[in-house]
Amino acid sequence: MAKDANAQDTIAQSLKNAGYSRRDFLQLCTTLVATAPMGLALTEKATPAEVAKAVGKAKKPSVVWLHFQDCTGCSETLLRTSKPDVADLIINLISLDYHETLMVACGQQAEDALNSAVKDNEGKFVLVVEGSIPRKDQGIYMKLGGKPAVDVLKEVGSKAAAIIAIGSCASWGGVPSADPNPTDAVGVDSIITNKPIVNIPGCPPNPYTLLGVVLEFAVFGKLPACDDLKRPKFAYDRVIHDHCPRRAHFDAGRFAETFGSPSHREGWCLFKLGCKGPVTHAGCSTRHFNEIPDCWPIGNGSPCFGCTEKSIAFRVPLFDRVDAHGFTATPPDTYAPINSSIGKFGAGAALLVGLAGGAIGGASWAASQKLASSEETIADEAKSNPGGK
Amino acid sequence: MTRWERSVPVYGIPVLTRGFWGLCLFIAFGLVLTGYREVVGLGASVSGMSDPYAWGLWKTFNVMVLTGLGSGGFAVGIAAWVFNNKKLHSVMRVALLTSALAYWTGLAMLGVDVGRPWNFYWVIMPWQWNVSSPLLEIAVCMSLYASVPLLLENLPPIFEYIIYEFPKWRGVAETCEKLMAKVYPFIIGLAYILPMMHQSSLGALMVLGGKRVNVLWQTPCLPIIYVWAAAFLGYNCVTLCLLLAKLAWKRDLDPVVMAELNKITVYLIYAWTAFRFLDILVRGQILHVFTDGYFSFLFWVETALILGSAYVLSTEKGKKLSTMFNANLLCAVGGMIYRFSPTTLAFSAKGSSFYFPAMAEIIVCVTFIAIAVLGYLVAVKLLAILPGTNADWNKMAKYEEKVKPGIQLTGYAPADH
Amino acid sequence: MAMTRREAFKNLAKGTLPILAAGCVSAVLPQVAHAEEEERLEANPKYHKTDPAKALGLLYDATRCVGCKSCMVACSQYNELTPDTRQDGLHQAPPALNSYTKNIIKLWRSEDGSDHSYFKQQCMHCIDPGCMNACMFGGLQKDEATGVVWWLGSKCVGCRYCEIACPFHIPSFQWDGFNPKIVKCELCRTPMAKDPTKKQPGCTKVCPTNAVIYGTRPELLKEAKKRIADNPGKYYQSKVFGEHEAGGTQVLYLSRVAFDKIGLPDVGDDSIPSGLKYSHMAYKWLALPIALYAGMVYFAGKNFKDHSHHLAEEQKETGLRAQL
Repeated sequence: MAKDANAQDTIAQSLKNAGYSRRDFLQLCTTLVATAPMGLALTEKATPAEVAKAVGKAKKPSVVWLHFQDCTGCSETLLRTSKPDVADLIINLISLDYHETLMVACGQQAEDALNSAVKDNEGKFVLVVEGSIPRKDQGIYMKLGGKPAVDVLKEVGSKAAAIIAIGSCASWGGVPSADPNPTDAVGVDSIITNKPIVNIPGCPPNPYTLLGVVLEFAVFGKLPACDDLKRPKFAYDRVIHDHCPRRAHFDAGRFAETFGSPSHREGWCLFKLGCKGPVTHAGCSTRHFNEIPDCWPIGNGSPCFGCTEKSIAFRVPLFDRVDAHGFTATPPDTYAPINSSIGKFGAGAALLVGLAGGAIGGASWAASQKLASSEETIADEAKSNPGGK
Repeated sequence: MTRWERSVPVYGIPVLTRGFWGLCLFIAFGLVLTGYREVVGLGASVSGMSDPYAWGLWKTFNVMVLTGLGSGGFAVGIAAWVFNNKKLHSVMRVALLTSALAYWTGLAMLGVDVGRPWNFYWVIMPWQWNVSSPLLEIAVCMSLYASVPLLLENLPPIFEYIIYEFPKWRGVAETCEKLMAKVYPFIIGLAYILPMMHQSSLGALMVLGGKRVNVLWQTPCLPIIYVWAAAFLGYNCVTLCLLLAKLAWKRDLDPVVMAELNKITVYLIYAWTAFRFLDILVRGQILHVFTDGYFSFLFWVETALILGSAYVLSTEKGKKLSTMFNANLLCAVGGMIYRFSPTTLAFSAKGSSFYFPAMAEIIVCVTFIAIAVLGYLVAVKLLAILPGTNADWNKMAKYEEKVKPGIQLTGYAPADH
Repeated sequence: MAMTRREAFKNLAKGTLPILAAGCVSAVLPQVAHAEEEERLEANPKYHKTDPAKALGLLYDATRCVGCKSCMVACSQYNELTPDTRQDGLHQAPPALNSYTKNIIKLWRSEDGSDHSYFKQQCMHCIDPGCMNACMFGGLQKDEATGVVWWLGSKCVGCRYCEIACPFHIPSFQWDGFNPKIVKCELCRTPMAKDPTKKQPGCTKVCPTNAVIYGTRPELLKEAKKRIADNPGKYYQSKVFGEHEAGGTQVLYLSRVAFDKIGLPDVGDDSIPSGLKYSHMAYKWLALPIALYAGMVYFAGKNFKDHSHHLAEEQKETGLRAQL
């Protein structure tokens, strides 16, 4: 995967050259729309045809993919599609100018490939980083071609248009950063501070999230809206619990007690088995993996372990129940309120009360009028006979 | 000048008037609704009561407020018999009748209001009583009062009716009357202590309401304030009945007695108001009188109606009959509002729950009031209840002897007694 | 109106005598009310003196509750109650405690929506309950051994005074139907008696986070205080609600949010029945009523004798039969 001669081709052109049908492309765009119904300018309020049009017109973005302290799972996630053509298709949407796992070159040729990819697309390419970067002892615990990863990142990153940190490792340190973090592994944004960075945490994250970010950049030239942890809002603004298919079981108190138990087989909520869904921001509840419905941890009966969250993944034991304190999920409105509002105001009853009041008032007024007309008082008579009987 | 000397029935007007039948019709309808309530319970189709407002119109109005209004029996009675205010003897029967009707219809209403009335029989077993409960005190006391002293006090006019109308039973009636006269002080002593006990316990009931009763009403002195309010309400009621009798049946008023009733009413109210303000001051809630929004407004409405009326009654203007009527009416309304506040108007259940009576609830409430009114109308026509002069009696006797020949209403020597 | 000085004073006395009497009484009462209070608990047979060391209760920690409502489902099942689906005809979603619901989870949200807390509401099983004090014939009783406050249908008249007397708004009445009951949590007294394998109430059995736990009051207080000590600043005012409130309750609460926000009213430390201590004093041995009765009979008797003589004379004069 050396420099692609047709890097300046539009994506539509490239797909056509590669022999992909419009149908395949539309199918991919449909998945993209389903991935990011909100929060991504590319897909918001757009039909797949509109997305296909926009994407088709864009130039293929140049992508340089660096691996550091990684397991390559994030690359795998891009490739482990249910149908092999889809992965191919994805690769054809971008111009993957450097990728150690996928490219043919090795040794000095690989070095040259990186250098020329960076030079030719300086200031225009998207740098995708996979894996954490160790800083301890001048970063000797991860070297690329004899150079410490820290330096490689700084060098390449300084020439990129934008950086995408894919996976929890690149976002905040991931597995290598688990206590006691012997290599001082950190995420990209601890090293590079002067470039736009998007974190896509997850272990691994959903590939369509990456796709959405990259294509947004290709079509509009800017990155999608992100939260304060630099995670794209379209994928990370909700917690798993908010959209979990097993939520109804949680709400009704139906919990799986142990693995393999009847309650587990029933597909009940995995909260008691340590599911971190309530405190984990990710879109897995609705976007499952490998394009197969229910192909995700909870769907397979395994509690979520909070792979996107720095404070949870590789820190809180897998089967420990999450502390209610940490629940950031907004409760639904279906709970009883603290103060009840019971009471009916019947119009008929009000009318009756009004009528009764009116009747008594009217009768009293009439009575007092009649008494007034008699002009009687008790004063004179009492005065004339003060002592009484 | 008219001086009341004895009680004289309303004569020359038939009992079974159109008004009578109209009332009967309404009562019949109301009783059918009552039957419906017994079958379906106390839910939304029948009443506006709910868990936040467990007591609705029936308990709080028909029982607590109206028995307050019907406290003439003991309030006027104590003045007449214990404090020997001879001027008030002539109006005792009116007071007793209003008390009897208010209590009997009130207790009947209570029977309709409770959800499991079949368990009420425990009231006759003292070993099952929870003596700490104010409601028990009320149940026992009111039942006892209504069934013994109140009933006995109201028997003399019935004895007389029997003596005049049913010569065959004269001997029995006369013996009963003599027996009663022998133990009368003991009966009326009971008739005064029992209402004092349960009217004050009606106040104690809401002490357990705690913070739900607004601070302007909630006080450990609630029993005293309640029974005192019952006292002046009783006077209001008697005065109003007498004024209405003048209007409806052209009965002459005895100015001395009316003045006396008003005087006592006024002093009772002045002292009551002073005590209430003192109580609020001592509890340190005097600011709430101005700063509590709806509750302050309610408080001032009560105070204005009650105190204002008392003041009017104490002036020269208060001697005018129409003013006297209005003042007593407004005072009664104020007093009833006071008795209604701790349970309903100034009672705040949590949250935005509220209570408003349902249609059936209102109709049944009015039905039982109508029963009392009907009873009153029948009683004053058949029995010697309303006060009058000896001359009135002679006139009545002449009329009755024409209509019912053979009836002897005059010419009784002491030996015949 | 012309009035002699004598009359004026007489009338003044009539008006102020009651105030003076009330004043004297209210000065004397507090002195002896305290002693009376203790005797009241002894004297009444319904006030079983529960051994406080054995009194059973619950500890609910709002910081552990995740609002799953399993406790509501378990309560309905254990107590064989019909779930309240009246809101939408489908889901069990009662808006408050009612005759279908002995236990409910309520949600408090802050004004701006940024904070929330759950609240489990059920009977507090007070040590000196207002409801029990209010009930005329002992329809609500306190179990001698466990201190659980339970309802006895054979004594209940359906007057609903218990609903007025409970400061926590717990007893619920069956408003529909002609055989209404009072429904409230009884710590699964009947289910546990019927099925000996049930060792704890339904709610505590199913709670996934152990937000509500079951035990004796001293144990629960100890646990609550331990949690407060282990987590300084976590709990509101570092206080266990129910330790002293309303004279002490057997159901205890811990919360991060202010108690009155989540629905526990500010009831003070006096038990509800203690508000009536003056009234009880006035009725002690029925001494005051009997004394008043005797006094009134004496005076009324004297006056009645005079009146009878007067009536007899009148009858002689007018020939009209005297009216009693």
